[in-house]
Amino acid sequence: MTAIDASAPPERLEWQLAQVRDIVAETYRVKSFMLEPVNWTGHLPGQHVDIRLTAEDGYQAQRSYSIASPSEDKLLTVTVERVTDGEVSPYLLDELRIGDRLELRGPIARHFVWTSGSSGSLCLVAGGTGITPLMAMLRHRDRSSCHTPTVLIYSARSRADIVYREELEGMARHDTNLAVIYALTREQAKDWAGHRGRIDRPLLAANCFPPAQNPAIYVCGPTDFVESVAGVLVELGYDPLSIKTERFGPSGGLSHGK
Amino acid sequence: MANNFSDLLLGGDAGAHLVQQIFAPDVTLARIRCDACKGETGIGALTLYAAPMGAVLKCCDCDNVLMRVADTPHGLWLEMSGALNVRF
Amino acid sequence: MDEAHISRGFRSKRQTQAAKDRLPPGQYVTTDFPILSAGPTPQIDVSRWKLALQLGGSLLGTWTWEAFETLPQTTIRTDIHCVTKWSKLDTTWQGVTFDDLLKVVGLSEPPEPYVMAHCDGGYTTNVPLADLIGGKAMVATRYEGLPIAPAHGGPARLLVPHLYFWKSAKWLRRIRFMPTDERGFWESLGYHIHGDPWKEQRYDGD
Repeated sequence: MTAIDASAPPERLEWQLAQVRDIVAETYRVKSFMLEPVNWTGHLPGQHVDIRLTAEDGYQAQRSYSIASPSEDKLLTVTVERVTDGEVSPYLLDELRIGDRLELRGPIARHFVWTSGSSGSLCLVAGGTGITPLMAMLRHRDRSSCHTPTVLIYSARSRADIVYREELEGMARHDTNLAVIYALTREQAKDWAGHRGRIDRPLLAANCFPPAQNPAIYVCGPTDFVESVAGVLVELGYDPLSIKTERFGPSGGLSHGK
Repeated sequence: MANNFSDLLLGGDAGAHLVQQIFAPDVTLARIRCDACKGETGIGALTLYAAPMGAVLKCCDCDNVLMRVADTPHGLWLEMSGALNVRF
Repeated sequence: MDEAHISRGFRSKRQTQAAKDRLPPGQYVTTDFPILSAGPTPQIDVSRWKLALQLGGSLLGTWTWEAFETLPQTTIRTDIHCVTKWSKLDTTWQGVTFDDLLKVVGLSEPPEPYVMAHCDGGYTTNVPLADLIGGKAMVATRYEGLPIAPAHGGPARLLVPHLYFWKSAKWLRRIRFMPTDERGFWESLGYHIHGDPWKEQRYDGD
């Protein structure tokens, strides 16, 4: 890792307002929001923000979302997936408009960060909207013309559920050092030639850089997904200390929906 | 919201379409005479109000309601008592 | 930041469910306030504003703006339902109830069973007295504590929130008592003569 001083005490972050500047529908259940905070001091790829909503009666709800944009971007992007019966994601996806303002604070968390100054190869493993912080890393890698050998293994329900698909394929086309591999768990289409089903041991073994290379590994997604993938990677011989994880969902920290 | 009827029809406005679908010829080329002030204008030049409840066309000169159209599950309604006549 | 920024349109899940219970059939909740007008927005000068209560050939009462503002004021918090399917919950209005208007002109009972509301711009709508008395309706002059904006019917509109909102006539000028029900602007163009959202009386024939 690079310029982060891991021993510095975390600053006390204050809530600030961010204006919604653009909204992009990524898939039928996922939208990205481009935000302009009042006073943003910058962030590292992989970090997240807390967003807080307050109703007129004072009721508050707060969720964490990974930042999907690289530090090079002017606006801050968060990508949100609809959670049925959720409290916050329906508000963001259905009610929020360009021009509205949101309260946020961040950037938060230094453990799940990658910057292009890092040496060595890179394995990114995403489950569903776990792609978000990894996308910040990939976008940063792309913007800084970094050629670190990188592989992304991305598990989604179907082709229609792959977030940022065109952008990922564009990056892979232009960069021989980047490979993008999808594992589709529910795709029905007969012309899908890629991996069907969950990310499993053979897929990881075949696509991750070998343990001897000691790649930096980042795994992000629902808690079960992360535990299962991390477990397999350890079995395959990767150093547990080189595997960084970010868990979403009820028993994890981040929400990415709900 | 006020807008020129011809422009709205060309732009695919639902209220304008509601009016046109009643008539066989191009309604924007028709001329309508107000029963209140007796002034005559091209329907295309009239201002259209009130969609989505219905379409209301008013006289440019005296604001009298010339024509009203509403589409309901029980039928398409047309009322033109504010117009003396329409010439296609 | 001392106070949290209120997120426009955000409600707790519990509140959202409660909201669904308050909706008449076929309606959805909106947090903005759509404007539907059958004509251009009249720019009414309050110094020239008058409201009249008419029975047959005579006026039972007329008020200038100043006089109207001295009448007993009532504030209500209510839901409103538009026939185009949006409903807006918890809207606050202030004005003079129809009961108070009748009292002020010395009537202990309505003289006829129906009224026609006449408005600037020519709009009309008919309402039975049964839907106006007993606190059910008012002539409203304030919305959310502020004077009603012209686009929303200011300076004064009829407010009959338990009927579809086309009955809450904007730019009210005259309330005419009628012995029989007559159809107003939309009621004579295919819309229901009564307009009760709980019975989904949207169109003539429903």
